[in-house]
Amino acid sequence: MKLGSPFRPRLLSALLFSIFLGSASATPAQERGELRIATSYKLMTLDPQYANLNENTSLLSHIYERLVYQDENLELKPGLATSWRPLSDTQWAFKLRDKVRFHDGSAFDADDVVYTIERIRDFLKPPSGGFRSYVSGIKSVSAPDPLTVLIETDGAVPNLPLFFSSLFVMNRPSEGVETTEDLNAGHPPNGTGPYRFESWSSGESLRLARNDDYWGGKPAWSKVTFRVIENPAARVAALSTGEVDVADAIPARDVASLKERGARVASVGAARVNFVQFDVARDTLPGVTDKSGEPIANPFKNPLVRRALALATDRGILVDKILAGYGTAAAQVFPNGLPGTSAKLLPEAPNYDEAKMLLAKAGFPDGFNLVLAGPAGRYPGDAESLQAVAQSWARIGVNAQPAAAPFSVFNTKRAAGDYGVWYGGTSGEAVDIILHTLLASPDPERGTGALNFGKYRNEAFDAMLARAESIAVGPERNAALAQATELVMADQPIIPLYHFHHIVGYGSRIGSYVLHPRGWTTAMQTLPAME
Amino acid sequence: MGMISVALGRLGQAFLLLIAMSLIGFIGIHSVGNPVFNVVNIETATPEDIHAATIALGLDQPIWRQYLAFIGNVVSGNFGTSYIYHLPAFELVMSKLPATLELASIAMLIAAPLGTGLGLLAGRRSGTLFDRTLVKASVSALSIPSFWLAMMLILVGAILTGWFPSGGRGLTASFLGQEWSFLTANGLWHLVLPALALAIPNIALIARLSRSGTIEVENLDYTRFCRAKGLSARRILFRHTLPNISVPIVTIIGLQFGGMLAFAVVVETIFSWPGVGKLLIDSIQLLDRPVVMATLTVIAVAFVALNALVDLFYAVLDPRVRLSS
Repeated sequence: MKLGSPFRPRLLSALLFSIFLGSASATPAQERGELRIATSYKLMTLDPQYANLNENTSLLSHIYERLVYQDENLELKPGLATSWRPLSDTQWAFKLRDKVRFHDGSAFDADDVVYTIERIRDFLKPPSGGFRSYVSGIKSVSAPDPLTVLIETDGAVPNLPLFFSSLFVMNRPSEGVETTEDLNAGHPPNGTGPYRFESWSSGESLRLARNDDYWGGKPAWSKVTFRVIENPAARVAALSTGEVDVADAIPARDVASLKERGARVASVGAARVNFVQFDVARDTLPGVTDKSGEPIANPFKNPLVRRALALATDRGILVDKILAGYGTAAAQVFPNGLPGTSAKLLPEAPNYDEAKMLLAKAGFPDGFNLVLAGPAGRYPGDAESLQAVAQSWARIGVNAQPAAAPFSVFNTKRAAGDYGVWYGGTSGEAVDIILHTLLASPDPERGTGALNFGKYRNEAFDAMLARAESIAVGPERNAALAQATELVMADQPIIPLYHFHHIVGYGSRIGSYVLHPRGWTTAMQTLPAME
Repeated sequence: MGMISVALGRLGQAFLLLIAMSLIGFIGIHSVGNPVFNVVNIETATPEDIHAATIALGLDQPIWRQYLAFIGNVVSGNFGTSYIYHLPAFELVMSKLPATLELASIAMLIAAPLGTGLGLLAGRRSGTLFDRTLVKASVSALSIPSFWLAMMLILVGAILTGWFPSGGRGLTASFLGQEWSFLTANGLWHLVLPALALAIPNIALIARLSRSGTIEVENLDYTRFCRAKGLSARRILFRHTLPNISVPIVTIIGLQFGGMLAFAVVVETIFSWPGVGKLLIDSIQLLDRPVVMATLTVIAVAFVALNALVDLFYAVLDPRVRLSS
């Protein structure tokens, strides 16, 4: 057939060419001074007191501020409060910063702090969560003058200033209380922070503009745009092509290729720990059997078994291979050197012979079978860690069958008691808070042991922790916490595995990026490159 | 009268379909896990926080009661509030629909003419090098997993050449009260790679259909008579062959378009295109039940509507359909 067809190939290819390759200017002209950040954090709500998740607090900390700020060493620094001191065991006075204004122009004063506390304590409806525990010890709060807040507590709360490092201060509206719905439905968020709210599209983007009246000086960037990119490969791609200046939560395996493409990378050990936790309470456990598959009595009640498994855990492989070096082997709840950690607790190298001996001494010369559960895709290296731990345990005869599940499924099953031993992770503002929730005996009255799913109980440790918690923040408290940690870790209620590193990549427009061990991603952490 | 009963039957089927879909979806998402653990921060929440949230979300009720409550809400035009975003679930879905709609439309605007044209050309010249190449290329285009195709497009189109952005929607402009990317040059530029990722398998699919139809029709008597009558090859192809092969092509375009609206999940996730597919997969991961249910309902309605449209189109395209009804 002759080519008298309507398709004129030359025309067609020219058209295709113009469609596909037409203009090489893929990126629009950048406005000077705009910072573009690709973040894995998906802002859920514009209510700063809705949920205590990094997803929200990272992004909202541009708009709202706290009375007290936790710096990169987790030390408390003045925020909206310039100073604070205990008047007695149950009374605190906070002095507020003068001449601070909210974005709508109204002045910040003590009444706004009172409102913030009242809103969290009395008005926030579930399912919001996580903040109320910070104010539950507060008996009354008053504002004797516009720049002073007096707080009375039920009993001693030496951690009160620390708690205020998690609470964003809101502006008291002319009447009533702002609900979460009000804030999400376009009622513009009104804070004192360095950037003003411009627009938000859920799961998509958050746009901010500089607050020129910021009390701490003019912020570095005229505009900040956060793009929510949950897929790590897509974040890496966006940074490689220069579409964004900063990308957070970079997978360790992509660091080398990013560096090749000229991006720089910053990392810091996270103020958190990933661990293996044992159920030490029940008499029999699901998935724990002898070698022939018959159920056995809970072996984890015996500290020798826990110790043997800890000795047979190769943290080096986890850190070097699975986390590609972007992790620190753990022996306690925070990386060594942060306040409240013990310098004596150092990660051990595996000792399989001793582990085997301990296991034999505990009555399991041939080992046993267990199912090692864990979440997949929640923490760096989580599912792979199950495999690696299972392999090292196999060397002492304990056959661990890894069972990874999506985080929500994992939590549902753990709450239902479907697991006998599992991988977990936790973070917090300070060492004592993690010890309090993870290792203290479960006690709903005192609010301890909320994450102690293994129902571990150690009265000596409880007493030491309670004593440490009664001491005012400072070196003495830190030493007492370190001591309590040493005591409890010797009993091995958990096997600390690693502190993964937060990794952030940044491009040429950024001079440096200061990572925070709490894993926040903010514009305030960037220093623009000299232009 | 006939038309009305057909329409009523159609509506009845659609209704049953929606009920079945909602039941399956509800039980499915219910059996995955407990959404409370995604709503409160499991690392800091106290047992009371968890308990209070469980009651607030109605999760302490038996599942049949939760389902009835859901149906009751839907009947009164309300899909509930997203657990995660605390926004009305239906509004959330509708706010993501334009992004998906424009992506799928542009992908189909590329795929339908290109696929049909290539297929016609190949069918008419079957056995030639062009035809054999097209058949082979379409097989590989259809068997490439979409995530790999999307990654390759990013690698070549964004990272190696820097021609296109690697993801996101770019600048949008407001039209009909919604934000659209295709109205700005920058937004259009962001559309190219994800639209291609969606279009390429569809080009292959449509081209194969149109090729086989063309081969079949080219050998039929009426084509031969047309040729004998001296009609130009071009006229035969467009006036006679194309209408006669169009019914299956329109069907597949309709189905694929519905599929793209609903299940462009992979492409939307990789290009971080904030559409319905991505919302659905995010919501399933976070067990955000109201949003999952609202999304599924919107998708089911879209499928039913598209199928009805396709049926209507048959009547326009093929006189035999008109006559029989």
